[in-house]
Amino acid sequence: MDYLDGVTILLVVLGLVGIGIYTLMISRSLIKIIIGMQLMVKGVLLAFVLAGRISGNMGLGQSLALTIIVVDTIVAVVALAMAVRVRRRFGTLDPRALTTLRR
Amino acid sequence: MINGWLLLLPIGIPWLGCLAVWLVGDRRPRLQHTLAVIFSILAGVAGLALIPWSTQRLTLLLSLGGIFDAFRLATDGLSVFLTVVATVIGSLAVIFSVDYMHGEHSLGRYYAFVLFFIGSMSGLVLTTSLLWMFVFWELTALCSYALIAFHNDDPKAVRGGIKALIMTQLGGLGLLFGALWLYTYTGSYDIPQFLGSPNSVPPTVLSWMAFGFLIAAAAKSAQFPFQTWLPDAMEAPTPVSALIHAATMVNAGVYLLARFYPAFEAVPGWRFAVMVVGMLSAFLAALMALVSFDLKRVLAYSTVSQLGFMVYAVGAGGVFASQFHLMSHSVFKALLFLAAGAVIHALGTRDMRQMGGLGPSMPFTHVVFTLGALALAGIPVLNGFWSKELILEVGLGHGNPTWIVSLMILSTGLTAAYTVRMVAMVFYGRGHQDHHEAHDAGTAMKTALIPLAAGTLTTWLLLGPFYASLKLSLPHHKLELNAVWEEAVGKAGVSEWEMTFKVGLEILREPSTYLVLLVVVLGVAAWLGRARLASLIATFRGVEKAAQASFGFEAINEVVVQAVQRAGEALRATQTGYLAWNIFAILLGWLVVLILTMLGRAG
Amino acid sequence: MDANMAVIGLLALPFIGAPLTYLADRLALRRGDQPRFGQWIALAILLLSLYCLSVFWFSSPLQQGTWVLVGSVALHWDGLSVLLALTTILLGSAVTLFSGSYLAEEKAHDKYFSLLLLMIGSIIGLGASNDLFNLWLWFELMAVSTYLLVAFYPQEKGSLEAGVKYLVQSAVGSVLILLAISITYTYAGTLQLDGIRARFSDLNSALWVAGVLFVIGFGIKAALVPLHTWLPDAHAQAPSGISAMLSGVVIEAGLVAMLRALMALGAAEIHWGILLMGFGAINMLLGNLLALRQHQIKRLLAFSSVAQVGYMLAGIGVGLAYQQPVALAGGMFHLFTHALMKGLAFLAVGALLYALVLSHRQHTPLTLEDVCGAAQRYPLASLTLAIALLGLGGLPPLAGFMSKWQILVGGFSAQTDASVALMILAGLNSVLSLGYYAPIVNRLYRHQPSEAVLRGNPVPNVMILPLLILSLGILVLGFVPSLMNPINDWAALSVLGLGMH
Repeated sequence: MDYLDGVTILLVVLGLVGIGIYTLMISRSLIKIIIGMQLMVKGVLLAFVLAGRISGNMGLGQSLALTIIVVDTIVAVVALAMAVRVRRRFGTLDPRALTTLRR
Repeated sequence: MINGWLLLLPIGIPWLGCLAVWLVGDRRPRLQHTLAVIFSILAGVAGLALIPWSTQRLTLLLSLGGIFDAFRLATDGLSVFLTVVATVIGSLAVIFSVDYMHGEHSLGRYYAFVLFFIGSMSGLVLTTSLLWMFVFWELTALCSYALIAFHNDDPKAVRGGIKALIMTQLGGLGLLFGALWLYTYTGSYDIPQFLGSPNSVPPTVLSWMAFGFLIAAAAKSAQFPFQTWLPDAMEAPTPVSALIHAATMVNAGVYLLARFYPAFEAVPGWRFAVMVVGMLSAFLAALMALVSFDLKRVLAYSTVSQLGFMVYAVGAGGVFASQFHLMSHSVFKALLFLAAGAVIHALGTRDMRQMGGLGPSMPFTHVVFTLGALALAGIPVLNGFWSKELILEVGLGHGNPTWIVSLMILSTGLTAAYTVRMVAMVFYGRGHQDHHEAHDAGTAMKTALIPLAAGTLTTWLLLGPFYASLKLSLPHHKLELNAVWEEAVGKAGVSEWEMTFKVGLEILREPSTYLVLLVVVLGVAAWLGRARLASLIATFRGVEKAAQASFGFEAINEVVVQAVQRAGEALRATQTGYLAWNIFAILLGWLVVLILTMLGRAG
Repeated sequence: MDANMAVIGLLALPFIGAPLTYLADRLALRRGDQPRFGQWIALAILLLSLYCLSVFWFSSPLQQGTWVLVGSVALHWDGLSVLLALTTILLGSAVTLFSGSYLAEEKAHDKYFSLLLLMIGSIIGLGASNDLFNLWLWFELMAVSTYLLVAFYPQEKGSLEAGVKYLVQSAVGSVLILLAISITYTYAGTLQLDGIRARFSDLNSALWVAGVLFVIGFGIKAALVPLHTWLPDAHAQAPSGISAMLSGVVIEAGLVAMLRALMALGAAEIHWGILLMGFGAINMLLGNLLALRQHQIKRLLAFSSVAQVGYMLAGIGVGLAYQQPVALAGGMFHLFTHALMKGLAFLAVGALLYALVLSHRQHTPLTLEDVCGAAQRYPLASLTLAIALLGLGGLPPLAGFMSKWQILVGGFSAQTDASVALMILAGLNSVLSLGYYAPIVNRLYRHQPSEAVLRGNPVPNVMILPLLILSLGILVLGFVPSLMNPINDWAALSVLGLGMH
């Protein structure tokens, strides 16, 4: 494997996870937050593919990535369902409205 | 051996009673009174039944395994004596409660905790495993807390209860860590084994243990600088004050020091520290008793002061003297508290300024209270006199610092003064209001008071037998009487009872006895002649103020509590409720941990 | 039934039970009845699981544990798995028994018991997994089932808010764990825990980063300060039975998962131990201080969980850092006793909450003022709550004292300055914690009942029964703490044993 490739992929992984976390912190809509979560997971998927490639077992890396996609979809569905309820109950998707529980 | 199970009786019977009273429920108060009395008397009988084993060792060992070692119980002179005190005075307090607590709410909770306490106290003194000693130690603290805060609607009672709990727990950590050190080095919690070979623990650790135990004892016995919880504990119903905060639980600290004296004796500075703690408590608490107006608080300060005498005695090397004074004090202080309870029950107030002139309307209470007060003041032939003399004798010998013992003697004078003041304010003088209808103690109250009054007159006769049983059963304690007396009693063929009289005679021959009596008389005179000494007293106005503020310890206590509460309140701001901040905290945590581990790896 | 069958049954039963309970309750709801059977099916499943566990316990060769192959996935049953399974099933049974009446006023609770069973099953699986990816899978399954349970009251703002925060923060943790797994896999070429462990005698920088990611990722679920922010919200807003499960087993499952992952990177065992000791100290102190001024009882209990995790971390940390099986076993013991005590506390508060608030079809939180004088009308619920609180405060002879004692013995036996200092801090914290436990007990036993108590409805007996059972357990373990010794010691050896290859 080309060394540069590995580094590039690693940078992409870190970039995706970083952007995802950044989104979680600054976003003003729950939908965007869920997108941020998705971004992070996509980065992780890439990391697994990379790990599989480096350790010489592409198949395993990819099958793990597939499993993660399935699980992540479930989480996303639950999160979206909650977002819908938040919109109905709070009248907004802004996470800054979700501050009734504090101190 | 079937006999070993006998040891479980003084613990088990009251605990069964506790369960029974609780199960009966508050709808049948008569049955609750009856059951409580029956079980407490049975416990008293079980305690007395152990007396034959005070010199023969009776043991019970239930192995638990692992780091929990074993549940061990064993008898010796000291443990049987304290079991008897706990169960007998416990049963008297319960009998007294029949009148005192008549018609109260939540009787089940009251009796359940009193009985639970009696069992726990027996366990505390009977066990020879330090782990279980700590368990029982904390159990007594739990009962004390529950009973101080018995009137949960009164914020003062709740505050007093929690204060007592937290302060004794804080001090108890000393015992806890001591037990942990012991296990670390010896692999067991066995106390006799440790007393036999204290050098199995390295010297530095031994001194940590010694001072840890001193802290635990000081917290439990309300000694300097932990004395502030005991006066606040006076919110408890009076029989509880008599039982727990005068006659038994507060003695546990003194018991602890006495029990471990052989192990810590040689630790540098320990004996001196014990003496200083005892002296400061005896002296400062006596001053505070002199200026307080709450009858129960006066008695509480007096308890602190008398416990100071006992602690001092242990430090001075007089283990026997301290335990003998413990015996006298349990009896006369229980008497004083219960008699005070009768007064409070009759008047519904604890303020001595509201009392006065009660002598004619409460003749019985008047007599027994005065008897207890005289014993407290150290007037001859009452038990307090003999034991206090013994302590001061020890203090004068053994190369103990003279300045400390002089302050102790001064404290006896102060004791006499506040005692007279207390009796005068309650029973003499003009009645403050029309207390003429104040009723004297009821039948149950009298039943409890009479044995205690008789005890105040007579327990000193037990000096010989008590000494003999301790001497026989405590192999590691070098119990010492004055060398001259030792010679007098050491002759063959002297029976235990004769010994009492020989020692008594020796005490009467000591010149220091008369010095102390002189100070006592001066103390009495100082109170009676206070009008003439007005100018002198005025110069002590500052001391009085300081004493009323309990010498600033209350303030320190308050500052610590407030600081912790403020910290808790301030930290609540960290729970912002904002999702973004929560995520940021995760990132921050990750970064900090990463940096720290990288540093740790490099280092 | 042999050991193999028993553990397969143990794993399969909750997953068989989950759809059954859902179907039973769903059908009842469709017919317009009160759903009733789900609870009893779930209870039967849990009791069967308990039976399987006991069969395994009595037939397995101890120490090495048992390997079971399910498909291509190898599961390893050792002390840690057994301890976690036992804790989960016991508390789960109590919660199941409790929750039927608790939810009676809710319109739709058909999903409750099936989600509860899913959660229990995934925790049992988590304990037994011997493969990093599997560990994560079980962990995630547990998380998803709890998301739904935390946000169980869809009409309540607080419930939703707690659910969202819990979900998002857990998702971050999940990503961190996955990153760590991919790093570990890159260097080790395997995901088997013992395989990874055997591969390294020293860790390179990337693996250190992976270790830290494991600590933080699982630490979010295990409520390490400052990752604990989701916990007070989620624990306070969930239905009380779920609060009990969250506090009693879910955060501990996070801890166990973290321990498993870290032991795979066991070459730096000592450093992980010291790191956990540090977190232990912070958790104890901050958890207690934060709980000190809370007014809502469930929120107070939630913060106290943060502190209690600190004790476990202290025991486990000392155990790893100084190779002290006693301390590690103490941490495990505390994991178990804490599940009993905190479970009991949340259930007892739940009983009061039900009587005072929920049965009036309201959803306001239970405050300290509300429970004043509760003992007058609810003697058993109050008594058991008092037992739980005093046990949490470390008063003997309740189970919590004994487990803390074992941790302290472990810390002192290590005979290092750091471990002894940590234990002294733990002792002081124990006293501090009484500063908020004791006042609640005092309030319970007032004579003058609060208005809420005066208006309260009776508590059904079926809710009281689990409270009594848990109290009994706490008392018995307080007097005979050594009953749990075999399991605790085995769990400790399983952790250290993996590290000693």
